[in-house]
Amino acid sequence: MHDLTQEDLAQAIGVTRQTILAIEKGKYVPSLDLAFKISRHFQVNIEEVFVYDEAVLTVTVD
Amino acid sequence: MKKNSFYLIVGCIALALLAIFWYFVEVSVEVHRPFIIEAAFIVAIVIIYFVRKRVTDINEDERSAKITEQAAVRTFQVFWVIFCAFSIGAVMQILYVPTFPREHFEFHTQELLGPKMMGYFQLGLLCLMFFLYVAFRIYYARKYGDWETDEE
Repeated sequence: MHDLTQEDLAQAIGVTRQTILAIEKGKYVPSLDLAFKISRHFQVNIEEVFVYDEAVLTVTVD
Repeated sequence: MKKNSFYLIVGCIALALLAIFWYFVEVSVEVHRPFIIEAAFIVAIVIIYFVRKRVTDINEDERSAKITEQAAVRTFQVFWVIFCAFSIGAVMQILYVPTFPREHFEFHTQELLGPKMMGYFQLGLLCLMFFLYVAFRIYYARKYGDWETDEE
């Protein structure tokens, strides 16, 4: 949708590609700061990127 | 400073330390100066610490910081129990606290926790701490997706 690689996103928000991959796979729950950076990068609200579940946090960006 | 330059400097410092250790342990046996070896080790670590701060191309983010933090905390949690258990035994030995039955432990503890063996035990505990940290670091790195690969 955004035609963006993990490496591009990682560089844009100042983390490693592995962190983006870990967030996508649900292995790592990002801090609020990082979550806001990601949502601002896509110019959407944080709720559109991250869905808060009682047990699991899921990422919904394509 | 680049990462590779940092590793090169660390290698040089390690070699210099080895040379200092070798000189004071093997060559100048008659000059018994353990203080110089200890001071050299502390200076080496301080130099490495300051050089490490100047490295610019090490990628660290909040996930790697969390892995380091979790591994350090777990290492501390396990290590202090082992260290405390060892220290209790050592203190009991130093203070000659009677054990029961006396005959049972008499000769073993004298040899095991004698002053000469303390240094070896401390070195062993230090190695244990290092291996604990590495093991926990590998565990948390795996847990937080360090070796995940793309499926697409």
